[in-house]
Amino acid sequence: MSSSSQPVKTLSLPEKLGLVSYRNQSKSEIKPHIRVKTEICNSTCPHQCTTYVCPANCYTKDDLGKVHFQVEDCIECGTCMYACDQGAVSWEFPDPEIGRGVTWNFG
Amino acid sequence: MEDKFDCIIVGAGVAGLAAAMTLARQNMKFLLIERGEFPGSKNVSGGVLWGTDLHRLVPEYWKEDAGWERYIQHRRLTFMDEQSAFSIDFKSSHFQEPPYTGVVVLRSRFDRWLAEKVQEAIDASDYAMDSFIATDILVEDLVHDEHGQVVGIRAGEEEFHAHCVILAEGVNNLLTRKAGLQEAYVPADHMLTGVKEIIRFDQAVLEDRFQLHGNSGMSNEFIGYATNGVEGGGFLYTNRDTISIGLVLGLKDLREKNQKPYDILNHFKTHPAIADMIRGGEVVEYSAHVVSSGDNRVMPKKLSKGGLMVCGEAANLLLNAGKAIQGMDYAMRSGILAAEQAVASKASGDFGESAMKGYEKALNDSYIMKDIRNFQDAVHLLHDPVMTSKMPNLICDFGRNFFSIKNQPTKKSRAMLHDSIQKHASYWDLLKLGARGAKAL
Repeated sequence: MSSSSQPVKTLSLPEKLGLVSYRNQSKSEIKPHIRVKTEICNSTCPHQCTTYVCPANCYTKDDLGKVHFQVEDCIECGTCMYACDQGAVSWEFPDPEIGRGVTWNFG
Repeated sequence: MEDKFDCIIVGAGVAGLAAAMTLARQNMKFLLIERGEFPGSKNVSGGVLWGTDLHRLVPEYWKEDAGWERYIQHRRLTFMDEQSAFSIDFKSSHFQEPPYTGVVVLRSRFDRWLAEKVQEAIDASDYAMDSFIATDILVEDLVHDEHGQVVGIRAGEEEFHAHCVILAEGVNNLLTRKAGLQEAYVPADHMLTGVKEIIRFDQAVLEDRFQLHGNSGMSNEFIGYATNGVEGGGFLYTNRDTISIGLVLGLKDLREKNQKPYDILNHFKTHPAIADMIRGGEVVEYSAHVVSSGDNRVMPKKLSKGGLMVCGEAANLLLNAGKAIQGMDYAMRSGILAAEQAVASKASGDFGESAMKGYEKALNDSYIMKDIRNFQDAVHLLHDPVMTSKMPNLICDFGRNFFSIKNQPTKKSRAMLHDSIQKHASYWDLLKLGARGAKAL
């Protein structure tokens, strides 16, 4: 069987994100460009939708159902800024020097 | 950089670069600021750049080994259910003649190439040493004078001054909101999340599989099973040796239906018709980006104020009325129009609110706002739940019956259609849809 007849490998999300070129990867400390008031997610929010609509899974729920946020995998799409209707997400663009964010190879 | 610029442009995407090209050609002194490492490095699109404006910006662009991937010669719109794909397919040698009806682009390459062309125009202008494309700089705020007119931008500790500012910052238009032209919070209602993969092939395999020759290419949009019940659609475009495959998913619907965009994309890729198209490929990039639906309720209330104009996706200029997903061509034209207003304002010495309104008027009179206004019903229709599953299921069910040969007495098509309608929708659904469709398109 030639390689052109092989089905495309289905990638898990971490594998997909492994293909992304992030900025300032060598820096241990980065300035997050998104701030999340998780106390809102974990008290009054009826849907905690960021934990499933985020295309990079930056918002996760732990075993106790508490929402956590990490900015490292963020691909700057903006989804959470619109999806969160509870006022928990404040969004800025990453600082080119000390922020995270992406450099697309194809785009 | 003490001197005042004629204009500062924020964002080196298609809109910002089109504005910059126009300014350079008109001998304007300007600064184009991009927060990414290079123009295009932050940008994602489907993406086809539709129409012929690129020829206006880079005359005879097809004659060089340019930053674009392939021209559209073959178009396909596909309705999907779980097992089937029923397509409207159009291919014509008519589309082989430049200026092409559309070109497929990958933004990291295309915008970078376009920026090189802008730099060439700067070099040929009177301000070869005074106009700049500056990268890796984040614009944090606008600078206003005592009358509230925009007179520059702030980046970190530094301020840069200009007679006017063009915002081409993209869909996540934070400065447009800061300027008070749009609410600080834009709800999910008319926004979609796009997710996309770039899949690489041996170029000969790609060309054979999609029946391409030279730089010819194909665009394919999908409605139905592709989005797993979420409003929106899918797309597949051929690049040189890769394809762009992805989905746009209604954000509000995604929230309500509790679905993950990357799961839906994986599900789309397992459809038998898609699996055959992408066989043997290797995923080389995964990306995501928000787009607006083209519903004009999400547009900023105003696109200008004293010393300020907003263009491209920052102005939510996008339309998908079922014919094509247009956004980059709107970005290009709106950037040109904003720059033309800046040139006119320099001549008259008036950059005030009423002068900047000239840009909004030009935009209103252009094909962009005419189409956006004319096709609002089509936008609403496409986002109707009936279009997400009932209609594609009905069409595929009919297709399966119509194209099946069973060595039994065969029903007439009308009876087959009746059966499919009974199974998947109702005549009432169709009647409503037909009436709306006739009005919309």
